[in-house]
Order: sequence, then C-alpha cells, then structure tokens
Amino acid sequence: MSQIRLPLLASLRMLCIAASLLVSAAHADEYADVSQLVRSGKLQEALTKVDQYLGAKPRDPQMRFLKGVIQRDSGKTTDAIATFTRLTEDFPELPEPYNNLAVLYAGQSQFDKARTALEMAIRTNPSYATAHENLGDVYAKLASQAYNKALQLDAGNSGVPPKLALIRELFSPTGAKAQRPATLPAAPPPAAAPVAAKPVPSLPGPVVSKGPAPVSATATASSIPASAPAAPASATTPTKAPVTASVPSAVTNSAKDAEAAVHAWAQAWSAKDVKSYLASYGKDFNPPGSQSRSSWEEERRQRISSKSKISVKLENLKVTVSGNTATAKFRQDYKANGLAVSSRKTLDLVKHGDRWQIVKESTGT
Amino acid sequence: MKFGWWTADPRRAAVSALLLVLAWGSNSNAFSATNKRAAKDKTQRQVAPVVNDTDGVAEARLIEVYKLIGQANNREALKKADLLVADFPSFQLAQLVHGDLLAAQIRPIKAFGDVPDDVARTASGALAELREESHRRVRALRERPLKGTVPSQFLALSQKSKHAIAVDASRSRLYLFENGASGMNLVADYYISVGKAGTAKTAEGDQRTPLGVYYITSNLDPKSLKDFYGSGALPISYPNILDSKRGKTGSGIWLHGTPPAQFSRPPQATDGCVVLANPDLQRIIRTVEVKTTPVVIATHLNWVAPQSTRAESKPFEDALNGWRNAKTSGNLQQVLTYYTPDFNSNGKNLAQWTPNLKTELDQTQGRTIQLKDLSYLRWTDATDTMVVTFGEVADGTRVGWTKRQYWIRQENQWKIFFEGVI
Repeated sequence: MSQIRLPLLASLRMLCIAASLLVSAAHADEYADVSQLVRSGKLQEALTKVDQYLGAKPRDPQMRFLKGVIQRDSGKTTDAIATFTRLTEDFPELPEPYNNLAVLYAGQSQFDKARTALEMAIRTNPSYATAHENLGDVYAKLASQAYNKALQLDAGNSGVPPKLALIRELFSPTGAKAQRPATLPAAPPPAAAPVAAKPVPSLPGPVVSKGPAPVSATATASSIPASAPAAPASATTPTKAPVTASVPSAVTNSAKDAEAAVHAWAQAWSAKDVKSYLASYGKDFNPPGSQSRSSWEEERRQRISSKSKISVKLENLKVTVSGNTATAKFRQDYKANGLAVSSRKTLDLVKHGDRWQIVKESTGT
Repeated sequence: MKFGWWTADPRRAAVSALLLVLAWGSNSNAFSATNKRAAKDKTQRQVAPVVNDTDGVAEARLIEVYKLIGQANNREALKKADLLVADFPSFQLAQLVHGDLLAAQIRPIKAFGDVPDDVARTASGALAELREESHRRVRALRERPLKGTVPSQFLALSQKSKHAIAVDASRSRLYLFENGASGMNLVADYYISVGKAGTAKTAEGDQRTPLGVYYITSNLDPKSLKDFYGSGALPISYPNILDSKRGKTGSGIWLHGTPPAQFSRPPQATDGCVVLANPDLQRIIRTVEVKTTPVVIATHLNWVAPQSTRAESKPFEDALNGWRNAKTSGNLQQVLTYYTPDFNSNGKNLAQWTPNLKTELDQTQGRTIQLKDLSYLRWTDATDTMVVTFGEVADGTRVGWTKRQYWIRQENQWKIFFEGVI
C-alpha cells in the first residue's frame, strides 16, 4: 500500500512533525467533523471550524491541509496555493501538499510549476502513486505544448487542462477511527492512504483533437443512407479517401464545389479582385512565416494591386474531398509584369456552411 | 504489497527508443569546436546572465542536449532542454526535442519529433522541415572543414578585405572568416535558411537564392526594418556583373535575421535571402565591413589548402600580368587583345569604352603599372570566371583607381568582359 512514511530519523524536524501528528490523532474527531462538512458542501461552516482549530494550533498540518482543500473547493485558488505552499515549506517531507499545489497550478495551465511540484512530491515519496499519475498527465500536456510550439500550431485550441487528482485529506481520519481501537492513540499515525480520495485522473487527450482531423470520412458516411455501410473501413482509411466513382454523389458534389472554389480563387487573383481573393481564405488560414493575418493581407493586397496584369492558370487540378475538408493539388502558371513562374501548389480547404475556404496554401508537392 | 510502478516504468523503454533515434547526435569529438564555444559561453554566462545575444549559443546548447540523449542520460538532457526552451522559447527545433524528452517520461519515443498522429497530420510539412533543419545542423557540425582550408573560390584575398563570408547551401551553413596576414581563418559558422525554391536565382520572384561571388553593399538600420527581418540586414550585390550579363533579374537579396516568433527558419524558407538567427546575424553585423567583405554563395563549398591552388591559378596570374605589362607599354592595340568582343562597362561596349582606356594610357605614359591589394575570386559554373579587385597605381604617382574586373576563360584564354572603378 502506499503509505506516508515517516522514517525514524533523528532529525528535529521529523520529531516535530511526529509530535504534531500524534496530537492530530487525538483530534481525529475534529478532522472528521470538518471532512463531513466539506463533503456535504458546507464550506463556510467547515472553514470557520478549521480557523477556530488553527487559532489554538496554528502549525497543525492536517487542519491546514483541509483548509487548503476548502479554499480550493470555494474557488479561492490563490489562497489555496498560498496554504499548500506554506505547508510544503513547513513540512517538505510530505508529498500531498506538493501534489495539491500541482493540481492547482495545472488548473491555471501553469504546467511547468505543476511539474516541479509533482517532481518534489515524488522525490519526497518515490512510491507516491497519485503524484506519478498526475505527473504523467502533466508531462503529456507539456510535451504537447512543446510540440505545438515546435510546429507553430495554434495552442489556443488545446486549452483543456488535464484533470489531476486532488488529495482531499492528508490522513484519513474517518477510516482510521473506524479501524483503530481507541486504546491505541499513541500508535504511529495510520496509513494515510491517499487512495480514498483519488479519482482516476482523466487523460487530457491529444492536443489538437479539435482539428479538422479524419473524422470526415465517417461523418459523410453517416449522413449518407444505407448504401455506404463501410464504417469500419473508414477507421483504417487515412484522411484522404480518394474520390472514386463508387463514392456517393454527395461527395462528388462536394468535390465539384471545392473545385469551383479553387477556380474562383484563381480567377479573383487574375482579375486583381483583391477583395474576393482575400475572401477565398478562411478565418483559420495560417499566413506563411509568422505573419499576422492583417500584415499578410496587406502584403497580398500590395503585391496584387501593384501588378499591371496578372494571369493565373491552373493545370492538372486534382481535388480530394473528405467530409468538410478538401485538398486541391495543381500546377500553377503565374504570369505578371513579364515574370512567369510555374509551380506545384497545394491548397487545403475547409467547408464553412456551404462555402469552401482556403486554410493552408503551400508550394511544392 | 509491493508497488509495481518502477519495474513497469515505461520511461525505461522510452529512453532506449529515443537513444536509437538520436544516435547520430552522440559520437566522437565531432562537436569539439562547438563544445569549446559552449564552454566559453558558460564562463561568459556567469558574468553576463543574458546569453540570448551571444552567437551560436542556442545551437551549441541543443547539441549538448543531443549528446546527453546519445549518452542515454535523458534526465540531464531534459534538464538542459528545460533551460534551453526557457531561454529560447521560439527555437522550434529545441521545442521539438523538449517535447520528445517530456513525452519520453510517459511513453516510448519511436522517432525524432514523435508527435501524436493527428498533430503529425496537421503539421506534416512543419515537422519534416524541423527534422531537416536538425539533420543539416548536425551534419554541418560533424563534417567540419579541415583546419587551414578555405573555399576554393578564394584564390587571393587582399588585406583590404578584413573578413569574408561563404555560404554552403547544401549544408545550410554560413562560414565567417577573418582575413589576416597569415591568410583566411574560419572564426564562426552558423545555420542559415535559403530560398523556398532553393538556389540558382534567375528571375525576380522565383524564390531562389543566387549563386555566385557578391559583396556586402550596405548595412540597413534595424529601426527602418519590419520585425520580419529580425535584428538587421546586410544587402549583397545581386545581380552582379555576371548575373546581369546573363539576364538575371530581381533585387534585394539580403543577409537578414528572423522575426520574433521564430528563432530560426526551415532550411528552405525565404524569398531568396539568406536568413540567420538574430544573435548570429548580429555578430556578423558587428564584425564585417561594408563594400570590402565578399560573400560567396555556392551549392557545395569545396575546401582546399590555399597553397594547393597556386598551380591552378598560374594561367590567370600570367594573363593578368600580361594585361598589366601591356598597359605599362602604353600600346592600345595590345591592351585591347585582353578584352572580349562583348565587353561592357556600365553600358558602354568595347568601342565606346576604348577612349576611356586611351585616356588612362595617356595619363600613365609608359610608367610601370602596379597592382596593389589584389584579390581574385574564381566562380566556375557553366563558364569559368574571375572577380578581380585591385588598386591600379602607376609608378611615381600617389593615387590610382580601385578597379574591379570580371575575367572569363574562353578557349583557355583569360579575357576581361567587364572593367570599372569602384
């Protein structure tokens, strides 16, 4: 079992803690009462009781721990952080305050701080299972943040912080009381399994799960009557299900619409119709480099309107549609002011309502 | 009851997988130059806590992380990566490695940049670019030029050029030289990005970086530049005389920095410029001189010992001396044999330019012509050319011209197709 070990070290600090724990054991009733109040949602009452108790015994770790939990439950995150931080300072040997500190930091998306706190919790007690699970979640979150920064993906759509497990009680007074004969109050404080209060942390899930990922194939399949029962296949087929003759007409229509959108884009460009040209790009279009949308638009406007004549012709246009996303690949023959450039181009489109809009533009294959 | 978490620790497996993937980051003393730099930076760091401005540091620290991973020391690697991304949050490659090291705490890492599948799909291009950037950085650091060698283009570089720059596009690397009494000495080299469509620029808008021998023409005030250009810009002399002769178009090829959100850019990312990380560019801006610093841009640099080129450059030196002697003799017809029929000097053809030549000969009146501070850089592609710079002074006179000539080898004869005063 995971136990909060208090090894018999002869350090003063340890003795001091042991002493306070022994006292705590004698006040198991008070802890039980407070816990009961917290469980039934009477947070204000619980807090009053805790403060009363702490008035007499300001150092008591168990009661201070409960206070932190109450503050957190009442939405006073900053106060809760302060309470748990002070606990880690006064009792650096206890892993639980670190764990809860990490939970609070993670809730504020401060994953670096959460990580440090959890690593401290584990250093304090290497077999502390909750901290390990929590730390796993935090590592996952940090890794995906790092990947997003590496790939310059919009971190804005991955803002769901992982749900970490908060330890509700430093020791389990109710359980202890029930199991322990009253005659043994001097026994070392029991067990303190944090297990009791440990909801399984729910994994945060892959970061960009909101992205227009491969769902599409299934989505179209389900919106199309019986004829396409290939649900399991869609799971294994990669994103770009090629548009073949067997695909239901809804998809072919989609492909036609997307193709039309690409042609309209090229036409607007050729006609130097900047407004329509820019309107071909969706809200979520990522300008190249790290330009802002507005500076990109300004640059495009300038580039296009400064040319006396522009011709954009598309060859070998191939559009692949899957659900609400489409990819158009073609050779682009661009001519303007005596310059002629022929290049491969790929446009990624997304369907918003009944409009196909460009979300990504890349040259090369 | 015993806890099983340690033995079942997924991190164990993860470490070895990551090791495999990054094994190329591990071996030998290939990084010794970088290490030295890193070590030096550490000592500097104690003095000045701001390290972000020192050139080459970010890469040296990244390589340190690679080496730790190579030594299976993931714990230390993660610590160093934590600090690296804290100091350089927009260094995407560092973020990617940091992501791998964090992910390795909870799952096996199967590839360098082992991002979740959905992310890999959304950002496959960016991921491939970062892997390529990593590959090129490591390769350039592993395959170092031999000490004492220089790129083969630099046949002679006078003391007027205190510095020189050479770019190897295939390695995504810029080499910075100091030119002293003992010749050219490599002092630093940096990762760079070139055009989206690669090199060999021919036309405006083709998103290619030019290849050839150029000079830095100016140093633009960073305050006048958009964020996009980073900490400054050094325009180079594209199109040069040879480029113009070949009808190449375009302009505004600069060495410049990176925008705030991107510490470095992918190997092929620019509209034709050569882009460096801001601290690296700043070091170059602080170091080099405008006008006299040559910038050679090649697909592959060929490194040679300076003495080894003597024999090869003899025919050219003979031709140059022949031209000098002809000028000393004052014989116009003899001098004219050194010029190509399609000679052009800033718009004047040979017939139009001959009077200028005659005036010069009248002025020197048979006095011996001296060529001072002679530089010649060879550029060989479909043709074999020489970019020559010197001070032309007649004996007994105090001043002369600083001239630039372009020579071309035709049927084993070196001839001048451009001459101008700079």
